[in-house]
Amino acid sequence: MSAIEFKKLTKSYGKSRGIIDVNFKVEEGDIFGFIGPNGAGKSTAIRTLLGLIHPTSGSATIFGKSCIEHPQVKKDVGYLPSEVFYYDHMRVIDLLNYSASFYKKDCKKRIRELAEIMDLDLKKKIDDLSFGNRKKVGIVQGLLHDPKLIILDEPTSGLDPLMQQKFFELIRDENKKGATIFFSSHILGEVQRMCNRVALIKEGRIIKLEKMSDLRENNYKRIRIETPAAIDRSFFEMPGVSKLELKDHMVNFLFRGDINTVIRKISQTNIANLLIEEPDLEEIFLHYYEKEGETV
Amino acid sequence: MNMYLHELKSMRRSTLIWICAMIALAAIYFSVYRGIVSDAAGFKRLLGGYPEPVRAALGISVDSITSLLGFYSMIFSFITLCAAIQAMNLGTSVLSKEVRERTADFLLVKPVSRSAVVSAKLLAAFTMIMATDVIYYLAVSLMASMVKTSDYSGRIFFLINLTLFFIQLIFLAIGVAVSVFFAKLKSVIPVSLGVVFGLYMIGAIIAAGKDNAAARFISPFKYFDMTYIIKHTGYEPSYLIAGAGIVIAAIAISYIIYVKKDIHAVN
Repeated sequence: MSAIEFKKLTKSYGKSRGIIDVNFKVEEGDIFGFIGPNGAGKSTAIRTLLGLIHPTSGSATIFGKSCIEHPQVKKDVGYLPSEVFYYDHMRVIDLLNYSASFYKKDCKKRIRELAEIMDLDLKKKIDDLSFGNRKKVGIVQGLLHDPKLIILDEPTSGLDPLMQQKFFELIRDENKKGATIFFSSHILGEVQRMCNRVALIKEGRIIKLEKMSDLRENNYKRIRIETPAAIDRSFFEMPGVSKLELKDHMVNFLFRGDINTVIRKISQTNIANLLIEEPDLEEIFLHYYEKEGETV
Repeated sequence: MNMYLHELKSMRRSTLIWICAMIALAAIYFSVYRGIVSDAAGFKRLLGGYPEPVRAALGISVDSITSLLGFYSMIFSFITLCAAIQAMNLGTSVLSKEVRERTADFLLVKPVSRSAVVSAKLLAAFTMIMATDVIYYLAVSLMASMVKTSDYSGRIFFLINLTLFFIQLIFLAIGVAVSVFFAKLKSVIPVSLGVVFGLYMIGAIIAAGKDNAAARFISPFKYFDMTYIIKHTGYEPSYLIAGAGIVIAAIAISYIIYVKKDIHAVN
């Protein structure tokens, strides 16, 4: 049985677009990335899955059951929303105990463990916490009942890099223990680090569904070079280079393929500065759009 | 049970304040009762000077004003107003606060059904209203027995005070039903005060008119006529049924809408 299954899920809000005909499965034990720009419909899909909003048509199920008809299925789900808000007047430990009280099992030990890993002070009042610390409360809250399915909606925003690292370790450990991870993000690097499979969503539609390893083979790099003297355009015209732009002493292009070939090429000339970075998501999407265009 | 207790905790402060306010209001009125009785003739003359419609609107009945029950039924309309505001506030906020305080994402992904959430919250609000009315009743009973100048019917006194509970129940239910229609209710006070004062004013206008048996159905404030209760030691069945109808309908609507409602992301 799949941990998550979207079947022709459509949600429309009056005139504005929600999500259209979303179709995919997440198998148990997987770490699944769900990636798309802000406003693409990631949260809409997740909220429908959790039964917070009702589908216009189609269905979204967890372990074969809809959260709306079978609320009990949510006992196996841990959810970390992108923005974390809790009952302000409560202390952290009171909130966590309240959260635990819904699951009919003893979570005290796990709460202490998680709080230690995330370096969270349980005695503080929630009003007094910074955004990052609230996020930590959210993480502990989402994991304290050892859920079989963990749904993360842009989980790392607000966490410093060290905490992000700890958080990813925590999630990997949960996955090793058998939990399925559904990871929504607009940061490609994050998803690339974590996930086995990935779905790309744009403007409410799933445009690509593939193994992370396949996406890596399509590994694009954005390369920016500064040269001491102007350089001829033809120098960089080689296989794998696209969107080549030259301006003054700046060279700017996307490269796809064996990174060694382009490094060798660059080493043949005199350069003042070199920057190799992940292309942003928009550029990756653009690439998929273009590919779709080719096949049509 | 955990949700119920959580709700009780979050409501207890405001409930305590409302109870104190209502008791204090009653205490202020009761403190002048003896003075009024000692100068009954002068007071009656003073009130007699008001035009008849004004007296009707304010619920003043000159003949019985100096009896304890007559006096209490006059001041009771202000207590009722207070109690209605409390109940309406409670009703309007109890479900909507999860969205307003952005905690809906926490509560509604727990393994509980929406209707269980509604039930726990309604039960908590109901408990708070019960507590308010019981404590208030004990306090005013004590006050009444302290200031009385002659004996009065405890049964009628109880029946009068029981209407407080009915009125609160009606406004609680109306409040909940109103709140579920808003995607996000930014502020509870304008809605609850608007509805309560609106119905109160309508009630006052209805009372001033003659032959108002049908019009009285419009405002729950007019469902319980003090003069009738004192005279008959009971309630008018048709209005009692109307009140029950409102409560049942409003709560049914609340369940139906809330269970089907989309809870949107915060932004």
